Amino acid sequence: MSVEARTTRRHFVKTIGAVGAAAAAGPFFHARPAQADKGELVVVSWGGSWAKSLREVMFAPFEKETGYKVRDDGPPEAAKLKAMAQSGSVTWDILDTDMPALQTMVKEGLLDPIDYSKIDKAKLNNIPKTLQSSHAVGHKIYSFNIVYNTKTYPGGKHPKSWAEVWDGEKFKGGRSFNFRGGIAPQLEIALLADGVPMDKLYPIDVERAWKSTDRLRPLVTKWYQSHAEAIQLVTAGEVDIACTIGPRAVYAKRSGAPVDVDYNQGKLGSDYWCLVKGGKNQEVAMQFINFALDGKRQAGMVKENPYGPSNSAAFEFLTPQEARDLTTAPDNVKRQFWINEDWWGKVGADGKNENQKQKERFAAWMLKK
Amino acid sequence: MGSLAFFLAIYLYPLTRLLVWSFFSPGFTLEHYAKLFAEPAYMQALRNTAEISVWVTALSLALGYPLAYLMTVVSGRVRTLLIVLVLVPFWTSVLVRTFAWMVILGKRGIINQLLMGWGVIDKPVALIYNMLGVQIGMVHVLLPFMVFPLLNVMTRIDTSLVTAARSLGASPRQAFLRIFLPLSLPGVSAGCVLVFLLAVGFYITPALLGGEGQVTFTTLIELVVRDLLDWNFGASLGVFLLTIVGTLFVLFSTLLGLERLTGDTRA
Repeated sequence: MSVEARTTRRHFVKTIGAVGAAAAAGPFFHARPAQADKGELVVVSWGGSWAKSLREVMFAPFEKETGYKVRDDGPPEAAKLKAMAQSGSVTWDILDTDMPALQTMVKEGLLDPIDYSKIDKAKLNNIPKTLQSSHAVGHKIYSFNIVYNTKTYPGGKHPKSWAEVWDGEKFKGGRSFNFRGGIAPQLEIALLADGVPMDKLYPIDVERAWKSTDRLRPLVTKWYQSHAEAIQLVTAGEVDIACTIGPRAVYAKRSGAPVDVDYNQGKLGSDYWCLVKGGKNQEVAMQFINFALDGKRQAGMVKENPYGPSNSAAFEFLTPQEARDLTTAPDNVKRQFWINEDWWGKVGADGKNENQKQKERFAAWMLKK
Repeated sequence: MGSLAFFLAIYLYPLTRLLVWSFFSPGFTLEHYAKLFAEPAYMQALRNTAEISVWVTALSLALGYPLAYLMTVVSGRVRTLLIVLVLVPFWTSVLVRTFAWMVILGKRGIINQLLMGWGVIDKPVALIYNMLGVQIGMVHVLLPFMVFPLLNVMTRIDTSLVTAARSLGASPRQAFLRIFLPLSLPGVSAGCVLVFLLAVGFYITPALLGGEGQVTFTTLIELVVRDLLDWNFGASLGVFLLTIVGTLFVLFSTLLGLERLTGDTRA
């Protein structure tokens, strides 16, 4: 054993230490979270162009009207909120998030119920009843649709039903479905592909749906992780058909991408406003939610971001041109179905909701050779 | 003292919390570990992770060793240039590099376009969304972790030993195999350990460049922690992976112990 040998070991450890520390340190440094002190409201959304429009259309006028400051933060992840609640320092007031996430948060006791007496009756009358649940009120409607590459399928020759998406003989080309990303697995869509009519989907015949998904599997090139990835895959021609959020396809189409959406048999869902439990400004938070459900303001949001406004009064403020492509335009909405949130949120004897159970099964299914 | 407190605070404390979560819910229980072993999916994910990590380590070594060797024989200026070339991608975000590979390797990507243009192939070949894509993407990210430990050891090898072997009649090949290679082994083991351990924890690259056969253990941990909010089970998955990696680390450093290797060559 020489001195040099020990030096080598120390050097080895040092090399590992230095490079390893640099690699490991990354994830631990976050920006300082926004603080929700009195007089300030923290609204948490998914970011991107939607958050930018929220600032212009919602936050700025709300600040002017009420004198409260609105701060934004994100992303509205259930895991982040749970960590905040456990450490006793909740800095959020309002979340803008989707159904699977909020159902899990309700189950974990992270949200407070919506006080519907604080929302104008006229607005509620214009919002579908299915979007008014105890802990969340829907504001931004989207659907899972057949999104396709227009170079692969020009002139209306694309698959127009899920049965056709499942048909690898008639429609050559790669498919992409979501592995992660909100609502998954797509059991209703698998049933539609298997011939179940749109009004007979619930309660879901789970085994039949999985058998149908087995048939889809060989046609899938890529199980995507995020909706942005799905649009990218179709735009680049990596896959020819994706089951993803239609509004994102409309957005891509408007910016010139060779992508389009067929709304037939789409699965309608929504993003919701929710109240964070332990938020310091519940009164103001409800005031903001009421403010944000206004039809004209929703119209302002969807001009830039082609989602469906939940308040039908929004269409009075949109030109036919602007309204035509939206998920909830009358011609589009009637060809689609609403996801049954009660079915997905139902908690079983094991303390898990259907959404958690099916997600676990999805992972196991994916790993089955 | 200060560094010890820092280490305890940012490393040991969260690890202890993780350990507690995995065993208590709220009373002591082994149910999370039982679930982990009962569900074949988790073992399959572990096999996927192991397969990817072994491949990536082997490929990084195959590419990194000649590169590091080349760096030791060229002039100082060329070496600096090579080091910069290895380092520049190292400073780019993993996500950006992964997306760049999608542009290069995709069905309508640069490589497929070229090969089809030259008439080598008539249909695009699948270079991503499979094991190959993951290998390419991860080796690109992890190569510096192989090259620098190797270079570190190689530059300190006394070249007069190789010269002496040559003057005593060894062919260049013999001199390399019997003198240089054994002396460089500490770098090989350091590089392999580093690359393997980092590969086990990789998440973004296999998720984006892999296919359904490349669902890794870390993907499942993320799903359980972020989507299912089952932190007790997630903690047990983390502790399990950490135990395996820790055992491997101890095993590696005992089997490929640096003292022994350097000691042998000097004997």
